[in-house]
Amino acid sequence: MKKKWSTSLLCLLMLVSLVATGCNFSGDKGSGSAPGGTAPAADGQQAKKESVINLSFENEIKDLNQFSTSDNISFSVLNNVSEGLYRLDEKHEPQPALAKGVEVSPDGLTYTFTLRDGIKWSNGDPITAADFKFAWLGAMNPQTSKGGYAFILSDYIKGGAEYASGKGSADAVAIDAKDDKTLVVTLNQPTPYFLRLTTFILYFPLNEKFVTEKGADYALKPENMLYAGPYKLTSFDPASGATLVKNENYWDNANVKVEKINLKVIKEQSTALNAYKAGELDRVMLSSADVDTFKNDPEYTTDIEFRTNYIQFNTKGEGTSNLNIRKALQLAYDATILEQVILNNGSKAATGMIPVQMSGVDHKSFRDLQGDLIKADAAKAKEYWEQGVKELGKAPQLKLLVPDDSLSKDLGTFLQSEYKKNLGIDVTVETKTVKARNQQMDEGNYQFGVTGWGADYDDAMTYLDLWANHTPYRGNYENPKYDELIASAKKEVDETKRINMLLEAEKILLAEDAVVSPLFYRGNSFLQKPHVKNLIFHPYGSPVEYKYATVE
Amino acid sequence: MKRYIGMRLVYLLITLFVITTATFFLMKQLPGTPFDEEKLNRLPVEERQLLYASYGLDQPVYVQYVRYLANVVQGDFGTSFTYKNMPVKDIIANRIGPSALIGLQAVVLGLSIGLILGIIAAYRHNSAWDYFTMFIAVLGVSVPNFVLAALLQYYVGLKWGLLPVAFWDSYENSILPSVALSVGVVAIIARFARNEMLEVLQQDYITTAKAKGLTNMAVVMRHAVRNSLIPVVTILGPIVVNLLTGSLVIENIFGVPGIGSLFVDSIKMNDYSTIMGITIFYSAFYVFIMLIVDMLYSVIDPRIRLASGGE
Amino acid sequence: MQQQEKASLDHLFRPASVSAKEPEKISRPPLTAFQDSFRRLRKNRAAIVSLIILILLGVLAIIGPWMTSYTYYDTDYSAVYKAPNADHWLGTDKFGRDQWARIWEGTRISLLIAVLAAVLDLVIGVAYGAISALIGGRVDNVMQRIVEIIIGIPSLIIIILLMMVMEPGIMTIMLAMVITGWVNMARLVRAQILKLKEQEYVLAARSLGASNTQIILKHLIPNTIGIIVINTMFTIPSAIFTEAFLSFIGLGLQEPMASLGVLIHDGYQAINTQYHLLLYPAIVIIAIMVTFNILGDGLRDALDPRMRK
Repeated sequence: MKKKWSTSLLCLLMLVSLVATGCNFSGDKGSGSAPGGTAPAADGQQAKKESVINLSFENEIKDLNQFSTSDNISFSVLNNVSEGLYRLDEKHEPQPALAKGVEVSPDGLTYTFTLRDGIKWSNGDPITAADFKFAWLGAMNPQTSKGGYAFILSDYIKGGAEYASGKGSADAVAIDAKDDKTLVVTLNQPTPYFLRLTTFILYFPLNEKFVTEKGADYALKPENMLYAGPYKLTSFDPASGATLVKNENYWDNANVKVEKINLKVIKEQSTALNAYKAGELDRVMLSSADVDTFKNDPEYTTDIEFRTNYIQFNTKGEGTSNLNIRKALQLAYDATILEQVILNNGSKAATGMIPVQMSGVDHKSFRDLQGDLIKADAAKAKEYWEQGVKELGKAPQLKLLVPDDSLSKDLGTFLQSEYKKNLGIDVTVETKTVKARNQQMDEGNYQFGVTGWGADYDDAMTYLDLWANHTPYRGNYENPKYDELIASAKKEVDETKRINMLLEAEKILLAEDAVVSPLFYRGNSFLQKPHVKNLIFHPYGSPVEYKYATVE
Repeated sequence: MKRYIGMRLVYLLITLFVITTATFFLMKQLPGTPFDEEKLNRLPVEERQLLYASYGLDQPVYVQYVRYLANVVQGDFGTSFTYKNMPVKDIIANRIGPSALIGLQAVVLGLSIGLILGIIAAYRHNSAWDYFTMFIAVLGVSVPNFVLAALLQYYVGLKWGLLPVAFWDSYENSILPSVALSVGVVAIIARFARNEMLEVLQQDYITTAKAKGLTNMAVVMRHAVRNSLIPVVTILGPIVVNLLTGSLVIENIFGVPGIGSLFVDSIKMNDYSTIMGITIFYSAFYVFIMLIVDMLYSVIDPRIRLASGGE
Repeated sequence: MQQQEKASLDHLFRPASVSAKEPEKISRPPLTAFQDSFRRLRKNRAAIVSLIILILLGVLAIIGPWMTSYTYYDTDYSAVYKAPNADHWLGTDKFGRDQWARIWEGTRISLLIAVLAAVLDLVIGVAYGAISALIGGRVDNVMQRIVEIIIGIPSLIIIILLMMVMEPGIMTIMLAMVITGWVNMARLVRAQILKLKEQEYVLAARSLGASNTQIILKHLIPNTIGIIVINTMFTIPSAIFTEAFLSFIGLGLQEPMASLGVLIHDGYQAINTQYHLLLYPAIVIIAIMVTFNILGDGLRDALDPRMRK
């Protein structure tokens, strides 16, 4: 009997020791009780103390390999530990970064970048034009490109599309590293926003020797990466977060003011708020429930993203194949309720697909040039509905496909109640897991659903060309006139003519063919500690800049 | 006994095999792909096919299955689809630690407090003690654990500043999650211990022992407790497994990078290799714990025949 | 001196009359098992109080939604996030929906799901566990391995698959919970019957010539009822919790349907500022859980013949 007890005790001890070794605390609480090391109370001593900012992400940092990553959070980290030819500044304008400057040929097709002197990787290797060529080719190569973002290079660079689809060779791609400091790129068509594109993660350089050496282990650990940006990683765990410290080899290191950035992953919004109040975080997003309580707090601010949430109709779906039904559904809800009541966080009711501040031409925004395309009108909606029912023979039973995140479910409830009130119809909200819903949309097995799209760059094309590929996901929409407008716009050199084509395309998409129905443009409310300044959040592309931040 | 263990190990392997197979095929039925469909939608169909092929996902399911088994047998559990290129083995190894620590602490805490409460309640049956301890125990299982976690976080963490609010920086971060998790264990153990003790205390041999002149304490300790342990051991098995394999809710609320949230996330994201890796790990662990529990049975109660009907 | 005292006290005693029948007489009135149990239950004040509260909750679940003019799905965007007031007795949520109606509607649905799931668990679990234990040997081994396999397969996968295949709704959630839930009952019943099989009175009954059926019906089942009842009383709250968990990870009921799980999840989102949205559903769920548990304990005490005082 005694023997059996001792063996079970031994097993327990083994279990405990196994557990204890595997705990891996991140032990990053160097600042201990002093939050962020910059507690506003203690003056005088501040000059010697390390300047730190504590920030959070609402999801994990999934992948730091720029060839395969595709989520915003990984983009946020990569944007600060690496850098491209240009970088967006506080006004979201591209400024020379690793490039000293650029020369554009008169036809707008050839860009000659000259790299800055003295730029180095974090291991001392110089950053050369060949590094850019290696990275750009790798991001298009179907063997290595796993994130689905190859298009952001292959759509624009000559020879890229063929290479990306496996039909062309790397040599036919028009990227030329003339010498260590000169990079020449030829585009398919003139692209006014090309410099902005180079601020995007996939345009960042990679050290070929290092990446090949690391092989499959590249970017899995901080020591398996090289840094060209204002910061480098000292610790990284996808589920807990990362620590960034200043990169001494960065060309502009003198202007980087904050020495350390702690990034934590926190999925529950309420926990993040508690952490903020406890001083463990310097910035937190507010959920719509909390906005009213904090609206008058001095630490409260809002910002916007170039992201539009909208309803996608399936133009071949039962009931939604009828144009009048779609038009009715477009007009039968009041998006200002979303703006003011349900979201209440700086989001704005949408009247078109392109968000409000997105550029148009001649310093006017696209939205200003176009005006409001869709505005709620219950009476008209009812007319369209009755017309549609007459054409179909009977009123269709509608199901709204909704993924299972809170925002989409709220949108579903909102639309359901609005349609009941304004059209007197009962719409079923069909909630599915993200994957199931994606599969249904890929198969065209839906009538209409809520979805959203964020801009990759500051031009209406980032939205509008989505509907030129005729997939079920985009509503099985096929309009030769629309396709032609998009194709021509891609080739058009004259800015004004090009924007006019895009304006017309948006009009066709929303007002004439009712393929989609806009809900809102994304805005965010958050609290930020007053001693943290100049954290830049871009509404598109690389989400956040830590480089310009300061701490008082 | 040795023969019995040997047989059980064989059964363990068979069970593992069946679980792995069933899970693999069920998992492949999950709708969607392991990739970000919204982003992939921009790719022309040929490029998407190339992507699937590079992961071997274009093969028929049974081919993928055989390939997977062949790899597993050699110790290769593949790489995750969500954390691209990260070996599943490493991910699991990293994420188990926190969950196991919290789980273990919760079990130890819950077991000790639960046993004490249950034994006291039975000992002083129908007294104020009985009602009080049972009420506490019941409350423990009636309050949803995220409510409890939220309250702990708000009061102990934020308002009184005694412990960190969240994250996983040092040992103190594990205390609040463990406490939140242990409350359910206390409740279950307390009730079971109480019930069994009550039953045992009615038995004749207890009366005999008391008649022999043993003190109440000796009676309780030497006879009653030992005999009450069986159902407690039964219930302990699944509890241990549940706790050590992580609680999604607690992990999300306290920002703990544990395996519970990894598992749920990988299922929702169709991360095939991670799902399989964790399933195999969980099942092996569970079957192993069940073996230990059954062995403990025979230690505690030799009357229970373990091998075939009458040995 | 003792002798004298003894003699003087003798007149105080009268010899008792003993008839031949007396030793055989049972001094308590005969009770059936149920009468006996019910009597004991009535004595357990906590259990009675719980029963009353539970009945009250059940009644409210049925008539609650009708007590107010608001329905559980009507939205009112001019009255969102209102604290409890005369108009909306328990306040409103982010869509201006009346919480009183939603909570009782939710209780209705949660109880429905939980009771159905518990009943199914019971039927399947008891049958499986009893057969496994009674037949014993090889069959028992195989059946137990099957149980281990079922537990081994991640139930979340099964649940998601089920929700893909079937229309999302009450039936689906209930089925999803039952598919892996019956296992617990089976294991407990098996453990109990294994234990009972070896008891002396079973041996005695067998040697007296009782058939297997008689042993099962007269000895094994009545002594297992305690475990079964406790576990069922456990299953119901656990089912409510499971449903709440599914809502928490997003697999709950469709909008605008509410269950306690959905309400608690929604309420949790606003915990920092509108805690009334979490408080009231939480109170209801806690009340249900507590009462079920106490009632379960009381029933167990009452049903166990050995507890007879």
